[in-house]
Amino acid sequence: MTAPIPPSLNGRRDRDPFWVAVSAVFGGIHRVRRLRQPVLPPVRPVERDLAMVVREVRREAADVVSLRLAAADGRVLPAWQPGCHLDVLLPSGRRRQYSLCGDPADRRTYRIAVRALPAGAGGSVEAHGLAEGDALRVRGPRNAFPFLAGERYLFLAGGIGITAILPMVHAAARAGADWRLVYTGRSRTTLPFLDELPAERVTVRTDDVDGVPDCAELLSLAAPGTAVYCCGPAAMIDGVRAAFPAGTGSTLHFERFAPAPIVDGKPFEIELRGSGVVLPVPADRSALDVLREAVPGVAYSCRQGFCGTCRVGLVAGHADERAVSDADESGLLVCVSRASGGRLTLDL
Amino acid sequence: MTTPRLHEPDNLVLQARDVHFDWSAVPLHWIPGDPVATHLVNVLHLLLPAGEEWFVRVFTEALPLVRDERLREDVLGFIGQEAVHASSHDGVLDHFAAQGLDVRPFVRQVEFMFESLLGDRGVTGERGRAWLYERISLIAAIEHFTGVLGDWILNAEALDRAGADPTMLDLLRWHGAEEVEHRHVAHDLYMHLDGRYVPRVRAMGETVTMLLALWQRGHRYLMWADPQVGGRVKGGLHHFRRTGPAGLTPSGRLLLPSIRRYLRRDYSPLGEGSTEQALAYLASSPAAQAALR
Repeated sequence: MTAPIPPSLNGRRDRDPFWVAVSAVFGGIHRVRRLRQPVLPPVRPVERDLAMVVREVRREAADVVSLRLAAADGRVLPAWQPGCHLDVLLPSGRRRQYSLCGDPADRRTYRIAVRALPAGAGGSVEAHGLAEGDALRVRGPRNAFPFLAGERYLFLAGGIGITAILPMVHAAARAGADWRLVYTGRSRTTLPFLDELPAERVTVRTDDVDGVPDCAELLSLAAPGTAVYCCGPAAMIDGVRAAFPAGTGSTLHFERFAPAPIVDGKPFEIELRGSGVVLPVPADRSALDVLREAVPGVAYSCRQGFCGTCRVGLVAGHADERAVSDADESGLLVCVSRASGGRLTLDL
Repeated sequence: MTTPRLHEPDNLVLQARDVHFDWSAVPLHWIPGDPVATHLVNVLHLLLPAGEEWFVRVFTEALPLVRDERLREDVLGFIGQEAVHASSHDGVLDHFAAQGLDVRPFVRQVEFMFESLLGDRGVTGERGRAWLYERISLIAAIEHFTGVLGDWILNAEALDRAGADPTMLDLLRWHGAEEVEHRHVAHDLYMHLDGRYVPRVRAMGETVTMLLALWQRGHRYLMWADPQVGGRVKGGLHHFRRTGPAGLTPSGRLLLPSIRRYLRRDYSPLGEGSTEQALAYLASSPAAQAALR
């Protein structure tokens, strides 16, 4: 309580009597309470991981397999809703998120589907190597793509994006809503779950037959007041976002994947002032990604540079590749801003 | 056609939304012809920026103590949403100043409370942790009210009927909807770290006392400083007797029973308000939809 008591609202007194009184009462209570050493309950760790076993592996399309997972001890699994995903910890330690694409009424197994991306970071190839009986740990389910009650839906699914959309389609059909699905991909052989979709209300649109889809054309299927749910490659989601018409009463829903990949980043170093530890930041990772591993409990939230919660003081160094939203030179939004080389000393 | 029945959404991943508001066309008395009701709601604009920045600081301090991955993710989502709330309400305060309503003296007092009285007291060790827990218990009590008020504003049709400014209503309802969306986080954090009942009750007592005092003082100040009212009408809590039943502001009939629910040992914030309604508003909110594009 070092700051001076503020002046009164009408400016006639230097110290507002109300705050003098509040400070006195508040300070008094605290002085009395401080006479006793506090006894705090211990914090009990909460284990959220579920031990699972692969029960079934099925090929669903040219390069897609589905995995049916059950609890290792056979117990009932936590409930989920359309749009939920699972965090899967692969045996190598990689952590990947997959949409749940089974039936929410099935409380004994979860189903996920994975497309093999040989050029990816290795998670999908590893998931494709899993066999019946293999053990996995998962966390969740969690929902970053909530499906809301409505009367009219347009579902847009691109390739493996059908996994998030499939349970929504079934829920909409069960609820008797007016819905349509446009399912896009390279060719029919690459599209999983075609056999699980009803024939009517579904338009399958493949590049080899129909050419690359035009987002405005897809959205023209949405009558005013339609809830549009879109899941697919980033380019498709961006296209739909850009083409989405305003003022029609229609609403747009997509899964907001956290940060966009870093392009044209250059490696640099960060030094933590408190410990003197120096950490290299590679070209394809943010300073926040590196800090999260090194400093437990580091604060951040949006990872896109707008909320400001990850801002740390910049003690030394020149951050010459700042995000537009990060103009204040005294600090650094570690989620988006970086340097083109050299070392930044952070107040951590 | 019947509206499909779905379960109340659960297990939500909390994410901040990058919203922006254009205040230039918003009138000073955004409930037309009713400066009294306008300023009863405006008091919240004066309290929220400093208060929500304080939430972010306190929760950031608590993060390293959390031993539950899922709660940690919830807290991270919560602080992002609160930080955007604080800066959005700050925009309203600048707009007040542009219209000749100088709110700085009151804001200075609010900042004194959050930054000094409730700030970092330089205590360490067990006492530092006790002070952290105490502030979290206060935030949990305040967040009970923000959830209840968020639910109120989402359903306050009287404001639409009164012709309230749509940009202001969108700010309040976007904010209210996110408060409903994350209403469990502060209580969950308190229960995870501390969880004792008596401090919860004490925190609610302190919160109610200060909320009433600040609402009274804030309203009196706004009515006095408003260049168009010119002090002709004296502000104060007694105005709630008209504006509450008229549906233009929250009422005691709303808040008092909610306090009784909070004081139950088995209180759950999920019982206050509807996640489905909040998400439905966020799906149609002009500001939140614009943030998606």
